[in-house]
Amino acid sequence: MSLVGKKCESISMLETNKDDVIVSEITPEDVLRLDRITDTYMCSPEANVYDIDFTRFKIRDLESGTVLFEIAKPPTDFGVDSEGTEDAPEEPLDPNAGRFVRYQFTPQFLKLKTVGATVEFTVGARPVNHFRMIEKHFFRDTLLKTFDFEFGFCIPFSRNTCEHIYEFPTLPPDLVDEMIAAPFETCSDSFYFVDNRLVMHNKADYAYNGGINN
Amino acid sequence: MGFLTILKKLRQKEKEMRILMLGLDNAGKTTILKRFNGEPIDTISPTLGFNIKTLEHRGYKLNIWDVGGQKSLRSYWKNYFESTDGVAWVVDSADARRLWDCARELHSLLREERLAGATLLVLANKSDLPGALTLQEIREALDLDSIKTHHWRIVRCSAVTGENLLEGMDWMLDDIASRIFTLD
Repeated sequence: MSLVGKKCESISMLETNKDDVIVSEITPEDVLRLDRITDTYMCSPEANVYDIDFTRFKIRDLESGTVLFEIAKPPTDFGVDSEGTEDAPEEPLDPNAGRFVRYQFTPQFLKLKTVGATVEFTVGARPVNHFRMIEKHFFRDTLLKTFDFEFGFCIPFSRNTCEHIYEFPTLPPDLVDEMIAAPFETCSDSFYFVDNRLVMHNKADYAYNGGINN
Repeated sequence: MGFLTILKKLRQKEKEMRILMLGLDNAGKTTILKRFNGEPIDTISPTLGFNIKTLEHRGYKLNIWDVGGQKSLRSYWKNYFESTDGVAWVVDSADARRLWDCARELHSLLREERLAGATLLVLANKSDLPGALTLQEIREALDLDSIKTHHWRIVRCSAVTGENLLEGMDWMLDDIASRIFTLD
């Protein structure tokens, strides 16, 4: 039984003009207080001055030991900037490509008990201090879960992984039914801070109706 | 109620422990971590940074940090000392040639002020390999009996067979728990 349907390509969900980018300082406390998904990205892609690059996401079921979902950047892309103009794209790149991921799961996903969620990331030439992730998951305006984790220090040019193994939150059955019936209304915001400055903001949305309507 | 008591009570509420896994490169730190968490151990490449696992075990919330052991990375170890409750020092029992290097790195670690309170678990890994040194030989080579500043224990183990991993880890957790969670 496949728990995972398909993963769609990154798409640009929001029309973010350069003018819309919020320049004010967003603090960890600000995002911890958020009670719904944000309308816009809270920092520009250029805020990532540490070249932090997420290279792998993986979700596994601890009970069965199976990997439910895994997506990795092709190794050739690791830390290599395309040089020369031959293969340069003709259209300008979407500045938010790579900041948004859409996940499609089957309803069985919501019945899991213990899952391990792994991220792998690389960092650039500068050492990274007090690297902290705050991730908030919502269904409509209901907060489902908040992750708040401090990676701390990251070594220059390092490749790092972090797996959170956790009990899946017990959700009321009627909420589960609603989440299955309302694809992509389950959303998450992931905020990444270095020294309390927001350097990355990624978004994702989720459907749990895989295999039902397709 | 003294400051220490308050601190202990704060920690007790969360039952959180921070474990740091260190040792020379190729000692098997990542393999042990993966084995401990039920992951496949057939494709493991050298750690060029860290691997973190957060998990619940016996009612404790564990944050385990496995930091790469290559020589060029060791100078960065100090960035991970803060708030460490336990150090798991992983040794390749079959690498007699580098035991002296291993002993030197371990003892320099034990002089670190920020690790002063930490429990030390020495994992004599790869003990299933032919040619692996005995526990006594490693104990002597690492001069463990000279350690008076830390609670320590050495166990022979194998990340491949799983031998003694849980036992070693559980001893460390018990030792940490008896220090930071129970007092009054």
